[in-house]
Amino acid sequence: MKYDVVIIGGGITGTAIAHELAKYDLKTVLLEKGPDVATATTKQNGGVIHPGYDPHPGTLKALLNPKGARMYPKLAEDLGFHIRPTGTLVVAYSDEDLKTVDRLLENAKINGVEGVVKLNSQELHELEPHINPEAKGALYAKTTTMVDPFEVAVAFMENAVENGVELQLNEQVRGIEKNGEQDFTVRTENNEYPTRFIVDAAGIHADDVAKMAGIEEYQIKGRHGNLAVLDKNVPIKTVMFPCPSPDTKGIALIPTVSGNFLIGSTATMRDDKQDVTNDKVGVEELIEGAKLLIPEFDPSSIIRTFAGQRPVALDNDNDFYIKESPTQKGFIHAAGIQSPGIASAPAIAEYVASLLEEAGLELKKKENYNPYRKAPTDFSELSHEEQDRLIKEDSRWGKIVCRCETVPEMEIIEAINRPNGARTVDGVKRRTRAGMGRCQSGFCQSRVVDILSRELGIPADEVRLEEDQSKIFSGKVKEL
Amino acid sequence: MTEKDFDVVVIGGGPAGMAAALEALKSVKKVAIVERNDELGGILNQCIHSGFGLQYFNEELTGPEYAQRFIDRVGDSEIEVFLNTMVLEIKDKTVIAMNEEGILKLKAKAIVLAMGCRERTRGQIRIPGTRPAGVLTAGLAQRYTNLENLKPGNRVVILGSGDIGLIMARRLKLEGLNVLSVYEIMPYANGLFRNIKNCLDDFDIPLHLSTTVTKVIGSKRLQAVEVSAVDDNLEPIPGTEEIIPCDTLLLSVGLIPENEVSKTAGVDLSKITGGPVVSNDLQTSEEGIFACGNVLHVHDLVDHVTREAEEAGRNAARYALGETSESTTQIPVEASGPVRYVLPSTITNTDEKVELKFRVGSPIEKGKVTVYLNDEPVYEGREKEFVPSIMETVTLSPEKLSDGKLRVEVK
Ligand SMILES: Cc1cc2nc3c(=O)[nH]c(=O)nc-3n(C[C@H](O)[C@H](O)[C@H](O)COP(=O)(O)OP(=O)(O)OC[C@H]3O[C@@H](n4cnc5c(N)ncnc54)[C@H](O)[C@@H]3O)c2cc1C
Ligand SMILES: Cc1cc2nc3c(=O)[nH]c(=O)nc-3n(C[C@H](O)[C@H](O)[C@H](O)COP(=O)(O)OP(=O)(O)OC[C@H]3O[C@@H](n4cnc5c(N)ncnc54)[C@H](O)[C@@H]3O)c2cc1C
Repeated sequence: MKYDVVIIGGGITGTAIAHELAKYDLKTVLLEKGPDVATATTKQNGGVIHPGYDPHPGTLKALLNPKGARMYPKLAEDLGFHIRPTGTLVVAYSDEDLKTVDRLLENAKINGVEGVVKLNSQELHELEPHINPEAKGALYAKTTTMVDPFEVAVAFMENAVENGVELQLNEQVRGIEKNGEQDFTVRTENNEYPTRFIVDAAGIHADDVAKMAGIEEYQIKGRHGNLAVLDKNVPIKTVMFPCPSPDTKGIALIPTVSGNFLIGSTATMRDDKQDVTNDKVGVEELIEGAKLLIPEFDPSSIIRTFAGQRPVALDNDNDFYIKESPTQKGFIHAAGIQSPGIASAPAIAEYVASLLEEAGLELKKKENYNPYRKAPTDFSELSHEEQDRLIKEDSRWGKIVCRCETVPEMEIIEAINRPNGARTVDGVKRRTRAGMGRCQSGFCQSRVVDILSRELGIPADEVRLEEDQSKIFSGKVKEL
Repeated sequence: MTEKDFDVVVIGGGPAGMAAALEALKSVKKVAIVERNDELGGILNQCIHSGFGLQYFNEELTGPEYAQRFIDRVGDSEIEVFLNTMVLEIKDKTVIAMNEEGILKLKAKAIVLAMGCRERTRGQIRIPGTRPAGVLTAGLAQRYTNLENLKPGNRVVILGSGDIGLIMARRLKLEGLNVLSVYEIMPYANGLFRNIKNCLDDFDIPLHLSTTVTKVIGSKRLQAVEVSAVDDNLEPIPGTEEIIPCDTLLLSVGLIPENEVSKTAGVDLSKITGGPVVSNDLQTSEEGIFACGNVLHVHDLVDHVTREAEEAGRNAARYALGETSESTTQIPVEASGPVRYVLPSTITNTDEKVELKFRVGSPIEKGKVTVYLNDEPVYEGREKEFVPSIMETVTLSPEKLSDGKLRVEVK
């Protein structure tokens, strides 16, 4: 049976599109080469839902970012993911910076972003008493929220799957053939997917995928960024940026949804698309950036560093590259989704649906479409009374697996057994936060391995951290 | 929800918690230990090597043997032990915990913190590079190997010369793994001398000082590490990089007292040790909450842990009985020069001898400890060697103390 749409790539872009297309009577499949959704750039970013004061008016970004950001609160409610209103400060240290603030204020107006004001030095210090005393003022965008992009992608995908979209993991697209009008064959190592339309949401590899279909319209390079995770002890409430440069928003201090803090991100172009290593210079830049915002910042609060690459479509004015290929009709690019790709994703998805419709796909609303997803239980957020009640219902709620984040065994079992459930240690970690705390899984990793082994019915020494080669153990110490 | 009243509730059932509870029981009736593991003993259960108890029992025991002596005493006593029970927070002198039966609220007259410590991880020392499988702390590798029969890898490099790393070097070598070498960024080893000898020298495992791992290589499983020599400021020296192919990197780069629960009670923590700030009766900044063992400061010998915990247990019981008199003295104690920290940070009770415990920040080949009261020497030690891995003690008799400020210095 032929598919209407094959979506290639299960990052925030691909999963948002799957969630959107699930509303319609279509046969859709999402192909993802990783063992889980959101294992590339979507798990390696700041998670800031920028309200949209930043993009240059007239660009696709300026259209889709504010719109996407406005969609988030309702989506969070319908799909049960965490969202935390924080607001953003763009801090000015000089008269020139203050001019930048005025420019952003003007931008916000043109882009239709509400709740953006200018603060003088006194107002700024009242809002954030620990900020650099030299700060002269700031832009204050009140509507900024924070999400966990991985959680959002999982929520999009679960809802899509429950509404009939197919998800194929560990399926890397290796070839694409055009057989005729609205007639493609997408090939992976073991399977073929005949389809009418293709949406290429393969992130940093979108251009490589397009090439398989003979399309060489654009090229993608990565803009690498280091990030650092801090323990829960920075005295700020708001996301804080310095004034931006043309290429980057600068090093920010970010209070995350889960109560941790991030410093992010550096920005340097890289030739190697796979390179998500941390570099010393970059991490030092993060520390300096944090100290500029909060002089008392203590670098020893860093518990982990990581990095990602923003997929940048070259010679495209730093804009997203979203359009139907002029040469290969029916092939839609959802590419060059650099920052703020998370904030824009829901609007990108609607835009892609409209492009598909223009290209000849009929979008008929599904009758029994369910817009809701029941959020998994987050034990640590419950009151002691509710916790007590759950434990009395099932004692596995009383068995703590991750001590740093208070994650009980039952929460992990649920994460494995949901639609699009966890298959790897990292998959469990990203769904439940087990292993994300101060000890960085020193304690719980072996227990998570045991639970995965039991729930998936595989031996413990075959449980993986993430990808296929990432086996955690090299066997048993002694054969018993 | 279960609610219960106690005189003394001890959090943590390692050697510190057990000794504190046993000692408290000598003066009060209702004592509890809350332990999140399924057995008492704490970290000792995975330390299957010998070298414990030389001071306390005058015998050389393994970790589990040392623990068992206390487990037996606790078992024979009236102490109520909650196993598989994790303390979530302390609120108004009530210890809130959970287990498979539900949430427990244990109301206490006095509380003893004995939660031990955890290991520093890769993020905390910020090694650049990729994040593959195969990079783990030495203690986790110890758990896998000794308790779960799982092999962490084949070709092993160890970063840091802390005792756990040294002990794991020998352990993994004995299990047939290829242990390539141990790298230490400092110009001296961090572990006990006897461990360097027994675990590395006797097994021909090289120890490279002033050298550190500067990059982790491999996208899925660890493939190699890059090591570099460092200069006097601990900065890598360009040109000295060397690539060591390996599939496992064990980190033995320090321990941090486990004080999340202490924070919920509002206990003040020291920036240097990471443990609570205490007076000489081991009481924290919160009245009626005492601390001992590795949660207070990292100990190298369990015998010291036991002694310290007995004192904390005794004082907690006294507090529960309302026997502590309002103290009038307040003598602050500070570390100076090469002395990294001194415990306690204040002396409030001068009825008995006062023991000061301290560590130096870097080795001193020949030095002498002097304790000053308001710049007047009140104690002077013999000339000897000081190393960061060994905790030193000085005992002062009460008549030497009067109002003022104490300072501990090594010259
Ligand atoms: C350091 C940093 C900080 C950022 N901060 C923010 C922020 O605060 N706010 C914000 O809104 N945005 C931020 N971004 C941007 C955001 O992360 C990206 O825009 C977004 O994640 C891009 O998502 P994507 O789905 O397009 O790509 P990806 O997440 O990379 O997904 C692409 C998917 O395609 C799969 N794939 C690739 N090739 C194939 C193939 N041949 N077959 C099958 N599957 C394939 C990959 O495995 C991957 O899962 C940041 C980015 C970085 C790097
Ligand atoms: C690998 C290694 C090798 C060592 N080798 C030697 C040696 O050769 N000789 C020697 O003398 N000493 C040695 N030591 C040192 C000695 O074992 C320790 O100093 C001692 O065990 C510390 O005791 P403790 O009770 O303070 O902490 P732990 O033994 O760590 O006990 C703390 C207990 O508290 C529990 N706990 C923590 N938080 C909570 C909570 N929220 N709720 C409930 N329970 C909680 C923990 O589960 C644990 O059982 C070694 C230590 C290690 C780690």
